[in-house]
Amino acid sequence: MSFAFNEDQLDILREVMNISLGETTANIAQLLGAFGTMHIPEVDIISSKDLQAFIGRDLSPKEDYHVTKQLFSGHFGGEVIFIISKESSLNLAKNMFQAPTTTEDEINDSVMELTNIVTSTIVSRLAAELDVTVQFFAPTSAIMKCVEIVDEEVLSYSTVIVLKTIVDFQDENIVGNIFVLTKDEAIQKLKDLLDKKLEELFA
Amino acid sequence: MEVSKDIETLLDTLESGHIILDGDYKVTFWNRWLCINTQIDKRDILGKDLFEIFPSIDAAILKRKIATSFLLSTPTFYDSNRKEPLIPIKRNKVTSGSLEMMQQQVTISPCNMEQKAVMINIYDISEVHEAKILLARQMKKVKALNTLLESQQDLIDKNIIMARVSLDGTMVDVSSKLCNFFGYEKEELLGEKISLLGSSKIPEGIFSELWSRVLGGESWSGELANLTKKHELKWVLLKIDPVFDGDGKLKEFSAFYSDITNKKLLEELYIRDPLTKIYNRAHFDKHFNSLFGDQRKTSTPSALVIIDIDHFKKINDTYGHQTGDEALIVVASILEHSIRSEDMVARWGGEEFVMLLKNVSKDEAIEIAQKLRSKIKEANFASSLTLTCSFGLTLFGSSDDPIESFKRADDALYEAKNGGRDRVVFK
Repeated sequence: MSFAFNEDQLDILREVMNISLGETTANIAQLLGAFGTMHIPEVDIISSKDLQAFIGRDLSPKEDYHVTKQLFSGHFGGEVIFIISKESSLNLAKNMFQAPTTTEDEINDSVMELTNIVTSTIVSRLAAELDVTVQFFAPTSAIMKCVEIVDEEVLSYSTVIVLKTIVDFQDENIVGNIFVLTKDEAIQKLKDLLDKKLEELFA
Repeated sequence: MEVSKDIETLLDTLESGHIILDGDYKVTFWNRWLCINTQIDKRDILGKDLFEIFPSIDAAILKRKIATSFLLSTPTFYDSNRKEPLIPIKRNKVTSGSLEMMQQQVTISPCNMEQKAVMINIYDISEVHEAKILLARQMKKVKALNTLLESQQDLIDKNIIMARVSLDGTMVDVSSKLCNFFGYEKEELLGEKISLLGSSKIPEGIFSELWSRVLGGESWSGELANLTKKHELKWVLLKIDPVFDGDGKLKEFSAFYSDITNKKLLEELYIRDPLTKIYNRAHFDKHFNSLFGDQRKTSTPSALVIIDIDHFKKINDTYGHQTGDEALIVVASILEHSIRSEDMVARWGGEEFVMLLKNVSKDEAIEIAQKLRSKIKEANFASSLTLTCSFGLTLFGSSDDPIESFKRADDALYEAKNGGRDRVVFK
């Protein structure tokens, strides 16, 4: 099956994602008592085989990253990978805990909390659009180099929805990359949905 | 929030902890698993503030997670790797691990939106966590070993002449040292047959023996003459080892080369006559005596021939030693190139040569000697010189003594000389 999306499908997907990110921003503001906005400068659909090269474009091979993975299952199942630099994760924890210094547990907690909010909002929105129910599993977090992110498990997914996100936490940029890993069946559902929305739009 | 008796019974049977908190964080349900593991009975905790019973819980974090779960209508989670568990529980299972406190996976799910009641679910993941720690330690070791292996591979690549060869003889990988040794670029060798490196000096039969051995899954080693890209002769000790896959099926071969060119040159110097380049007397003696041992196993006789250049002293005196030396070289070359691969010729000393013709009859030996005599007589020598040779020959078999056999051939040569030279005498 081809994972390629045409420009019209991508436009609709960007719109859906923008709505989800709007919700995510509102949720973050309400829950974390704050701040700013969340932008999506880039939405793309790529093959999982190209993910390593894609990640390599933005991430430094020498730097360590907080990589949080969260599984979701159901008719639209997959896994979300949220990648954030160590510096950004430290800034995030300082903001969330309102403290100048933070412990390792607090940093992990902040990253997982943000991942959970982002994942739940984005995937719930997609699931609602697709009219399916999804279940979320506990995220797992690890510190790794960017070359270690794409492992066999990641490659077992066929397609990746790429969302490059910047969260403005007051004056500090926290840059995170979100990758929604899905399988053929889920991506076909998404394509059908986007086509349906296009039909409605041009009917 | 009221929990029905049926649900309470159901939750009490589970092998995990379940707490229900109301909107004021008071405990409204505490299941049996928690009673057992925390030693806190239901009647001692129900209706009480969770943060008062467990002051170690960070209230801000838990409240935030509860708020998140309500807002998103989805579960929220604690990091399963966190060092401080939500509810401190001592492990009661005796394990070899080092975890004293239970490692927990905690999820917080909204269970009554109106009453703001949430269920906190606690799962014991201590064994999984221990396995993860163990795996991480093992992975660290594997990583260290891989680094070591990579550095050793680099060492091998730079210092060992080796190739990986497929079952049809194609080179699939070669070390940098092999490329340097044979003067090729790696790209020029990959995909080529390994026989590209061989020389025509390799005796027939060696390759068939080599391939039948290695395709049978055995190692082979032997000395071979190879050629560099610039056709420079290199002698190598080649060892070929079979490589098997996980199912024990022959996958490919590893070929290891050791440069023995200098050793071979020294050996050649030791066994060859420096002027004529044919074998010397010492090597002939060794071969002759070993042949006598072999001869006992066969009934067909072999011939011993002694050849002497006629009037050689006169040639030296008349034309000089250089012409004499050149004559010796031409005669040696004619003899060497006229015999079969299983025969042997050597310089015995001065103007005398000896020859062994294996498994021949008297008539065949005489015919060969006569042909050689004619060839030498008709050959072109320096200074328009013509020369002749006398041949003394004899046959020897399994019952003969080597010294006696040599004496018979020498006597035959003596007769040929006395009989007027330029002739073959059999005795």
